[in-house]
Amino acid sequence: MSVNSHVKSLLFVLGGILVFAVLWPREASSPEEREALAQGRVVVTYWDRHSGHEHASRRKLIDEFNASQNKVYVRALSVGYDASMEKLLTAVAGGTPPDLIGMDATIMSQLVTQGCFTPLDDFIAASDAVKEEEFFPYCWDAVAIDGHVWGIPTTTDTYCLLWNKTAFRKAGLDPERPPRTIAELEAYAEKLTIRDETGLKQMGFLPWVPWDMTTMWGYLFGGEWYDEETGLVNCADDPKIIEMFAWQQSFALDPRSGEGTSYAMDPEQMMSFQQGFGAYMSANNPFYSGKVAMTAEGEWQVTFIPTYAPELDWGVAPLPTPEGAPPRAYGGAPVADCIPAGARNPEAAWTYLEWFYSPRPGGGTSPVSDYNYAIHNIPCRVKEAEQERFTGDPKFRVFVETLRDRETVSPPVTPLTQLLGNEMERQRERVAFYKTTPEEAARAIQEKVNREFVRARRLIGRGRS
Amino acid sequence: MTRMERRNTRNGLLFASPYIVGFVVFILYPLGASLYYSFCQYNVIMPPAWVGLENFHELFFQDPLFWKALYNTVYFAVFSVPLSLAFSLSLALLLNQKLRGMAVYRTLFFLPSIVPIVASAVLWLWVLNPESGLINGMLRQFLGVEGPGWIADEHWAKPSLVVMSLWAVGGAMVIFLAGLADVPETLYEVADIDGAGRWAKFRHVTLPMLTPTILFNLIMGLIGAFQYFTQVYVMTGGKGGPVDSTMFYALYLYRNSFYYLRMGYASAMAWLLFVVILAATLLLLTTSKRWVHYHGE
Repeated sequence: MSVNSHVKSLLFVLGGILVFAVLWPREASSPEEREALAQGRVVVTYWDRHSGHEHASRRKLIDEFNASQNKVYVRALSVGYDASMEKLLTAVAGGTPPDLIGMDATIMSQLVTQGCFTPLDDFIAASDAVKEEEFFPYCWDAVAIDGHVWGIPTTTDTYCLLWNKTAFRKAGLDPERPPRTIAELEAYAEKLTIRDETGLKQMGFLPWVPWDMTTMWGYLFGGEWYDEETGLVNCADDPKIIEMFAWQQSFALDPRSGEGTSYAMDPEQMMSFQQGFGAYMSANNPFYSGKVAMTAEGEWQVTFIPTYAPELDWGVAPLPTPEGAPPRAYGGAPVADCIPAGARNPEAAWTYLEWFYSPRPGGGTSPVSDYNYAIHNIPCRVKEAEQERFTGDPKFRVFVETLRDRETVSPPVTPLTQLLGNEMERQRERVAFYKTTPEEAARAIQEKVNREFVRARRLIGRGRS
Repeated sequence: MTRMERRNTRNGLLFASPYIVGFVVFILYPLGASLYYSFCQYNVIMPPAWVGLENFHELFFQDPLFWKALYNTVYFAVFSVPLSLAFSLSLALLLNQKLRGMAVYRTLFFLPSIVPIVASAVLWLWVLNPESGLINGMLRQFLGVEGPGWIADEHWAKPSLVVMSLWAVGGAMVIFLAGLADVPETLYEVADIDGAGRWAKFRHVTLPMLTPTILFNLIMGLIGAFQYFTQVYVMTGGKGGPVDSTMFYALYLYRNSFYYLRMGYASAMAWLLFVVILAATLLLLTTSKRWVHYHGE
């Protein structure tokens, strides 16, 4: 080899090293973070499932925490809601999880049994920040699985009935008197459903708008989905669940005979009409634009509606339930802050959580209350939900009081909650299009999901032994 | 081996090593692993547990949605593949004329193929919207009829997707154009002397000479149809609705693996799909001997 070619290969190798050096992944960092590292502070990575203004609200609080600290620095990353489960799974399996993650409790319960999270019991016991008795019981139940606590509930939701007062007036209904029972709801739906020769013009009510709520309706009808004792789905023989499916079906005409209830809609017209609904977070939301007169919706609407549809004249009341059914409220699964298994800095992560869930010195509000207020959700601690900032708004108060005063039910906490929810939605759709009967639908859910429960528990049992 | 040969072998392997390493690490190993997982219960975090043929047993005997997904996929393949072939071939024939500005036309017809699938799926969602979409709007305006619900209607959802698939046949069209350019001019001259008309020339010269291209496009189209995923994922929010009418095989596989963490079950599905595609391809290749003509044979 000549000298020249040696020089060439040396240059080649150096070039290669340079390319690697440039492309080598580095931890992204801001000037503040570099400064924090220079001070020897521990950097905690936080994965936020939110983006947009919700992430910005979280960030603002984290900035406040960082400014108050000389030991810990929290780096917040918006990882998005989609695929948050896959992202966490691959990170845990690969040994590089974040130190903290905000997780939907239904997804969390699916991953807990597989050892994806660090139990927080010791942290909680040694601290004053988090006390079980302060939380809405269903929120705490959602994170306390198999005798351990796996996350701290951050935000929760509930659903109420929203109605369009203008549509009520046009239909000759009292705009200040919402339906209270299912029978009343049906009668109102009939009056509020408007058709012409081309199809639907206005929908009175449809149980699966804005999305499927079969879990909730089953509970509100007084039914049960899941038996804690046996750990199995038990809806197949529950007459209340079957009644609920039949009720949802009653909103569609039977396509074979063309017959149905007085408030039933033609399935094809219904589907076409639904396709014409505008984006949920926009002025074209079907409830805002008057396409749907009554709807089951969450507390976030109290701030959404003034933003997107300031002209809308609307009211809010607890959801109607069948006569004789227990007065229940439905609490959506909370979002919880968790520490993944294998996190590098669990103690530092807890330092942040302790701050986040404690009132500010001098009797101020806690950061978690500020956060809920900023993103228009309900805090998971009863006392915080009752704060003036939440109950001062008469509409928001209806949501908080419903949650506080009624027996609250929420999605069952199981390793297969997602499968259960998806199967409920699938079977509800099949029932609504008369592909199956309410009885068969309830049985199909039970059989499919229980088969999976048996399999999942067998694997978990093997993993433990 | 001489020193020189040894060195050449070593250098050759070194140069090929990026591919070899990539193939082994990213293709061969995952392939083998998924075959193993298809006989296991596996949820990513915990070690896989051997369950023998249980996944396959469940697929065949306990999971009606598996059969529905398979039916939907075969339905889509049966309609979309031949239609796409006919459509892209017709386009190629039209764009093979000797006219001014042909390059512009070719570009125009190829353009849809370079639109990202997700973007085009969202676009089609608007076009097919039964209330405010372009198609039903035109039907209403010009024919005075109320169009179907398209993607929102259980019976029209799959046909809608078939129609949609015809929009992006640019890739197959370009391959057909290349095939057309390959047909020797002399054959047409001979046909002219024999007094063949346009149709006869197409039927007896163009078509036979194009059969290798048709076979290629057929197989690629079939494989693509069996793996159809992105459009339905985007257009149905990953749900495969209404009433499972667009629950395609790949979508159901995805739901099992990433919604329910049933990686073993999903692997079993993937291997079954592989077997189905392999069988279909082999069938096409064997029967192709009867209808595909290669140059010089």
